[in-house]
Amino acid sequence: MRILSDIAAIMTGMWITWKHMFRRPVTVQYPEEKRQPYPRYRARIVLTRDPDGGERCVACQLCSAACPVDCITMQSAEGDNGRRFAEWFRINFSRCIFCGLCAEACPTLAIQMTPDFEICKRDVMDLIYEKEELLIDGCGKSPDYNFYRHAGIGVTQPRGTGVEEMPPVDVRGLMP
Amino acid sequence: MPKLIIDDIAVEVADGSTVLEAAQSVDIPIPHFCWHPALGKAGACRVCAVKMLEGPVKGIQMSCMLPAQEGMVVSTTDPEAVAMRRNVIEWLMINHPHDCPVCDEGGECQLQDFTIAGGHGIRRYTGKKRTHVNQYIGPDIEHEMNRCIQCYRCVRFYQEYAGGCDFGVMGSAGRVYYGRFQDGRLESPFSGNLVDICPTGVFTDKRARFRARYWDYDMAPSICPHCSLGCNITPVARYRELLKIVARRNDPVNGWFICDRGRFANDEVNERQRPRSPEVDGRETTYDEALEALLLRVGEAEELYGPGSMAIVGSSRLALEAAALLPQLAQSSAAGALCYFTLQAEGDRTLAAYELLSAGKSASLNDVRESDCIVILDCDPLQDAPMMALALRQAWRSGAGVYLVGGGIELPCEFTRVATLDAVPLAEAKRSVIIYGTKGYNGVTTVASWLTGIAPNFTKGGLPGNLKLACLFPGPNSFAAALLSREHGAVSLEEALADGGIKGIIAVEADIPEQLLEGVRFVAVLDWRKTATVQAAQIVIPTTAWVEMDGTYINNEGRSQRFKKVMNPGVPVKGEGPPLHPPHIHRSVAPGGEARPAWQVVAGIIEGLGGERITEPLSGQWEYLRELDAESRGVMINDL
Ligand code: SF4
Ligand code: SF4
Ligand code: SF4
Ligand code: SF4
Repeated sequence: MRILSDIAAIMTGMWITWKHMFRRPVTVQYPEEKRQPYPRYRARIVLTRDPDGGERCVACQLCSAACPVDCITMQSAEGDNGRRFAEWFRINFSRCIFCGLCAEACPTLAIQMTPDFEICKRDVMDLIYEKEELLIDGCGKSPDYNFYRHAGIGVTQPRGTGVEEMPPVDVRGLMP
Repeated sequence: MPKLIIDDIAVEVADGSTVLEAAQSVDIPIPHFCWHPALGKAGACRVCAVKMLEGPVKGIQMSCMLPAQEGMVVSTTDPEAVAMRRNVIEWLMINHPHDCPVCDEGGECQLQDFTIAGGHGIRRYTGKKRTHVNQYIGPDIEHEMNRCIQCYRCVRFYQEYAGGCDFGVMGSAGRVYYGRFQDGRLESPFSGNLVDICPTGVFTDKRARFRARYWDYDMAPSICPHCSLGCNITPVARYRELLKIVARRNDPVNGWFICDRGRFANDEVNERQRPRSPEVDGRETTYDEALEALLLRVGEAEELYGPGSMAIVGSSRLALEAAALLPQLAQSSAAGALCYFTLQAEGDRTLAAYELLSAGKSASLNDVRESDCIVILDCDPLQDAPMMALALRQAWRSGAGVYLVGGGIELPCEFTRVATLDAVPLAEAKRSVIIYGTKGYNGVTTVASWLTGIAPNFTKGGLPGNLKLACLFPGPNSFAAALLSREHGAVSLEEALADGGIKGIIAVEADIPEQLLEGVRFVAVLDWRKTATVQAAQIVIPTTAWVEMDGTYINNEGRSQRFKKVMNPGVPVKGEGPPLHPPHIHRSVAPGGEARPAWQVVAGIIEGLGGERITEPLSGQWEYLRELDAESRGVMINDL
C-alpha cells in the first residue's frame, strides 16, 4: 500500500521536527554570539617569532612558491646580524583560499594559520596585509623551534656550536 | 665509434666518450657531481654508479670514469646501482647543513636535485656534523664551506682550467677544505665561474645574496656587452633589478664560462640615476614632447645653418637594430655626416681590422682553444677580452705554442717572446691563430703587411694553411659598426667636425669626448647610461639597457648573436617607496619604465621627419637575421 508508506514517511519526518522543537538549539547567533574554532582551523595567517624573539621567517620564498593562488610576495634581504629576513612581506587576503599549503611548506615554522576568520574590509586594498600586520610577538603553535639553531651555518651562535655540530675543524692539523 | 646498449637503448658515441656522456646523449640522466664537460673526470664523488651487465667490464662501475667500449650493456636502473647511488648521496649529506632556506643556491642546486632524484630523504645518521670556518674571498663571492661535498670541481677549474694559484684544496681525511691560504680577494679574473661550477652552495654571488629564488627569476638568453667576444650569458633579474649574470653554454664561443668583468656587471643597469625619463633642457618631459622638441631643433638647425649641419653618431656598443637604422635617419634629417666612431684613430683601426678579418678566416674562441700555434700581437687579451686569454690557455694546456710579439703583458699560461712575426714557426703549425687588437696599437698594419709578404693575394682567400685571425675590437658591436661604416661611407665624428660645418649632433648610445662638443650648438642623446655626453646634452631620450630589449650584436669574428629581453625597464623596486614595502598603487607603467629600445626611438624620429613608419628594424640585407634564435650558435656574417 503505497499511500500508507507515504503517510508513515511524513509522520516520521514530522516526529523528528516535533522532537527538535524541545531541544537546545545548535545555531549560534553570530555575530552577537561567537564560537571558538579549533586551534587547527585555517584562517588569517600570521608570521611568528622564535623562542628567542627573533623573526622566524627567513624569506626563503617557499611559501610563495607553494601558494596555489600566488598571493604571497616578499623581498628577502640580509640583516646586519647576518640573518636572512623579509624586508617586506605581503599576503593578499582577497586572494588567499586558506588552504594552508604555505604553512605546510614553511621550513622555519614561521608562517602559521590562526583560527581568526573575521577578516572583512570595505576596501579590497585593505586586505593586502604587510609584514607589520602579519608579524606577531609569539611563537604560535610550535614554541620550541628555532631554525637557526639547527641550520648548521652559525648565524645566531658561533659556528660549530649549533645543535648536533662539531667545532670547526683545524684545516692545517696533521692528525688523522 | 663504439656501440653500446644503455637501458635497452642502443647508443653509438665518438671514441673517447665516457659511459656517462653516452647516456646523456640519449637523455638518460645519471647523477654526477665531480664530472663536468669542461673539466672532465675526477672520480671523486662516486655518485654516477651504473651496473655493467655485459662487455669488457662487469658489475658496479663509475660511469664518468669508464670509456664507452664496444659491446657494453649498461643498466642505470639496476637495483644494485640505484642502492649504491642512494647510499653515496646519503654519505654526502652526512655533514651537509640543514640550511637550504637561507642558501642562495636553493632551487638551482645540483645537490638538492640529485639528493631527491637519488631517493635519499630522511636522515638516519645521528652523529654530529663537521663544520668549517668560512673565508672572505672578495666582494663578489660568498664562501660557505659547510656546504661542500668534496667534488674538486672548484679547484680543478681554478687551478687547471683558469691557471689561478691563490685558491686550492687543503687538509686531509674528513677535513678537506677548499679556499685560500688566508682571507683575501680571489685573484683570478675568472673566479666568478666558481659560482656556476660548484654543484652546491659553497660559492654564491654576493650581488644576488638573499635576493630571490630560481623559480621567481626573470631570465632570458643574452649576450655579454662588455667586450667584443660576445660571450653567451643568462642575466637574472627580479623586481626590475638585475641580480646576477651566469654563463650560458655556446660551444664555438665561450664554451661554459665567462669572465668576471662580464659577470659582476649589474651596477650600471640598476643605477637609479641613469636616464629614466626624457629631458629637454634639464626639464623632465614626456617621450612625445621630447621627440617634438628634437624635431623642432633639427628643423631650426637646418634653417639657421643650412642642410648638412647635423651629424648622426652611433657607436660600437649600439645594437645592430638601431645601428642599421642610422643611415636612414641621416638621410631623412639631411645630416651632413653619419658616424659610427667618434675618434678618427679608433675608426681607422677598426675598419682596417674589419677588412683584414673579412679577407682572412676569422677564428672563433673554439678555434683558439683547438689551435696548436697562437701568436699574440699588440693586444692584451686579459684586459681587452679576458675569455680570449682563457681560450689560449686551453690551447696551451693541450700543447700549443703561444708566442707573444713584443712584450709587456701577462698571460695565464707559458709563452715565448719573439721579436717579429717571422720568428714564429707558423709554417709547421696545423691550426694557427694570430690574435691582434685595435686599441692604440699598430697590430692591424703589422699583420696586414706580414700577410702581404707571405701571401700576396691573401685578400682573395690565399691564406697559408689553416691560419686564422682573431681581432679584439673595442666594443660588443664593433664589427657591425665597421661593416655599416664601410657600406655607407661613414666618417668618424672627429673628421666630420673638422671643417666646423656640423652644428648639431644626435648621439645614439655614443660616448663623445667633451672637447669634440665644443663648437656644437645642439646635442641630443639617446642613451641608457649616465655618460658625460648625456650630461652635456640639451635633449635626452632614455633608451633601454641591453637586458631590457631584444637585439643583435655581431662579435669579433663576425658572428651575429641575438639577445632577448630579460626584464622590464624601470627603477628597481628595491629602495623605492615607503621603507617597509613598495606602495599599494596600481600603475600600468613602472616608474622610469618609459625607456624604449634605441631603434624604436630612432624609428620615431625618422617618422617625425617625414620618413616612412618602421616596424621592423632589420630589413634589406639584415632581413635574414630576423628569425635568429638566441639559443643557437649564432650566424656568421661572412658565410652569407
Ligand atoms: S616559507 Fe616560511 S620562512 Fe620561507 S618565506 Fe615563507 S614564511 Fe618565511
Ligand atoms: S593559505 Fe593557501 S592560498 Fe592562502 S597564502 Fe597560504 S598557500 Fe596561499
Ligand atoms: S666547494 Fe663546491 S666545487 Fe669545490 S669541492 Fe666543494 S662542492 Fe665541489
Ligand atoms: S670575455 Fe668579454 S664578452 Fe666574454 S664575458 Fe668577458 S667581457 Fe663579456
